[in-house]
Amino acid sequence: MSTNTYDAIVIGSGISGGWAAKELTEKGLKTIMLERGKNIEHIKDYVNANKGPWEFEHRGGRTQQMIDDYPVLKRDYPLNETNLDFWTNEKESPYTEIKRFDWFRGYQVGGRSLMWGRQSYRWHDTDFEANAKDGIGTDWPIRYKDLHDWYGYAERFAGISGNKDGVPILPDGDFMPPMEMNIVEKDVQKRYKEFYKDTRHFVIGRTANITVPHNNRTNCQYRNKCWLGCPFGAYFSTQSATLPAAVATGNLTLRPWSIVTKILYDKNTKKAKGVEVLDAETNKTYEFFAKIVFVNASALNSAWVLMNSATDVWEGGLGSSSGQLGHNVMDHHLGVGAGGRVEGFEDKYTFGRRANGIYIPRYRNLNGEKRDYIRGFGYQGGGSRSGWSRDIAELNIGGDFKDALTEPGSWGFGMGGFGETLPYHENKITLDKTNKDKWGLPILAFDVECKDNERKMRIDMMNDAKEMLENAGVKDVKSYTTDPVLGRGIHEMGTARMGRDPKSSVLNGNNQVWDAKNVFVTDGAAMASSACQNPSLTYMALTARAVDFAVKELKKGNI
Amino acid sequence: MNRRIAIRNMALILGSAAILPSCLTDKGKPVVQLKKLKVDADQEKVVNNLAETILPKTDTPGAAELGINLFVFKMIDDCYDKEHQADFIKGLCDFADAAKKQLGKSFNEATVAERTAFVNTVDINAKNEKYKDVTKLTAFYKMVKDQTVFGYTTSKYFMTKQIVYELVPGRYNAYFPVKKLAAV
Repeated sequence: MSTNTYDAIVIGSGISGGWAAKELTEKGLKTIMLERGKNIEHIKDYVNANKGPWEFEHRGGRTQQMIDDYPVLKRDYPLNETNLDFWTNEKESPYTEIKRFDWFRGYQVGGRSLMWGRQSYRWHDTDFEANAKDGIGTDWPIRYKDLHDWYGYAERFAGISGNKDGVPILPDGDFMPPMEMNIVEKDVQKRYKEFYKDTRHFVIGRTANITVPHNNRTNCQYRNKCWLGCPFGAYFSTQSATLPAAVATGNLTLRPWSIVTKILYDKNTKKAKGVEVLDAETNKTYEFFAKIVFVNASALNSAWVLMNSATDVWEGGLGSSSGQLGHNVMDHHLGVGAGGRVEGFEDKYTFGRRANGIYIPRYRNLNGEKRDYIRGFGYQGGGSRSGWSRDIAELNIGGDFKDALTEPGSWGFGMGGFGETLPYHENKITLDKTNKDKWGLPILAFDVECKDNERKMRIDMMNDAKEMLENAGVKDVKSYTTDPVLGRGIHEMGTARMGRDPKSSVLNGNNQVWDAKNVFVTDGAAMASSACQNPSLTYMALTARAVDFAVKELKKGNI
Repeated sequence: MNRRIAIRNMALILGSAAILPSCLTDKGKPVVQLKKLKVDADQEKVVNNLAETILPKTDTPGAAELGINLFVFKMIDDCYDKEHQADFIKGLCDFADAAKKQLGKSFNEATVAERTAFVNTVDINAKNEKYKDVTKLTAFYKMVKDQTVFGYTTSKYFMTKQIVYELVPGRYNAYFPVKKLAAV
């Protein structure tokens, strides 16, 4: 056996790649996990995690140099001084925007599991049935019952804190104890309940931060520094959770700096035999062989790998026979919501920095309601007390002003919407072969936009936010909206969707590529619709389920 | 190439290389190390004195003692775009001119009481939405005040002595009484 031969290959080491590696190795398969970027060692490489705010030269802000170096990242909050190294170097890895698309990437071991928002929600049958009911895209080949047990499995290992709220549209999970709402959130929740009864719900966020010790990980210390890497391992990441589990089996090989350029497809067996890797440091090419390939490079890069593979058989790449590869790009549209002032509670503050907020699950277009758009949206938000830098109207300058800066300001409450995006065939990524990245590889071109359904939904997202906050007693509520740009949600989905028919989908109900049964795609690319919940928990469940299937098939000799 | 266009282009290149203040008096080199902003020692002192006037030393340290003035320069030098940096330099001149006109002497030569009176007027104007400033004085003042307050409230001194910042709070108390200084 060549040293480059394994039982399984996993492309990518983010949330879903880490899960694939853990599941495959725990089932006894010798597995290599290939990561295109640098290594990040748990704790040791979290270089900024233990700094006080004053230790950052610009207090965490952004310099003009950073703005020049990161023309995409600068468009939103991710460009900052505290974790710049976790975001992809845009000069080395550019992409083409036929239409604007904000692609915020993390090329390193752990991928974006190091910087993710950690909100973790199950989907509901309403979500899995939506495409079929609306006659849009393709029907999901699975239903909630197919994922139910896997959701629980993923939650129990990842460690999701949350409350069993009994909200029909948002199934409860196997949670750790929930985080607590602060006094203002509780007050707003009370009035919200009085107004909306059981028609709408206001719950504590369900987050992948552990609230009790778990698998050698320390429970959340309320530092709210989650995107710097957590020295306590308190939030789920590849490094804190799946990687140590995979390493413990003795079956894992992790290879950073490994850009998978293509999956090696064998025409005779109609299966993949391995992958080709370009070493990002040495520019040397290697081949790795395995019985199973899991593609977890994140939705858009997973599609990129497939597009570059088996082009001698299918011009558009492996999985393109359906005409769907690279199409149906989805995200959640956001940047719309409302906020206001909360009176009272001046004698109360919060101690500790809770990296979580409240959640209002979807309530639109349910129970027979029909708006002038389909699907729905949820909100994330929270109550907080304004900080020390506030402008104090009655004081201008001087010693009294300086002393007043030590007093907290007034309470406020704000929230923003996350809206479902439909799978439009014409929203697509393609290979731009005229432009290359640092390694001479073709880059992606984006032709993706929000359409009428999203724009109509956003009117409700803005107006409902204001109305609900006013109904819950928040004062001086101001709503806001922005031009909807996809990518900003950092929830890319849909480019290699699951389905029931090889003519209209890239993957079957077990995340198998129809055209190569030993290739599995279990990241956001697999999604046939986007729902409005944060999607990563669903990727975890899909991955664990697909590995279970893959290993059974392997043992049966079917792949 | 037409010579005049060549000269104009040259001027553009030079102009973008450094932001030259219109009232550069060349009164010595500043102490603060700057990459883009060009100020002389006198102008540097105006900003230092302004920061100290906004947050003076009382029974607790002021802006100068805590080095907030250096932070203000660092932020404007590194983080502001060319347009705002130009406004800062222009506004610094406008501020110095206006102070001289009102006080009959330079801001740096004025007493603490005189500086405080002058800056108070500037601050009141800056907060008045109806106040129209044809110069860049107000824009300059707001930049300095914003960064002075930001620098102070995120300084180690403030976060460890004036409020209690704990790197590892370890718990979340949703009903913490304000009387006990709360962590952020």
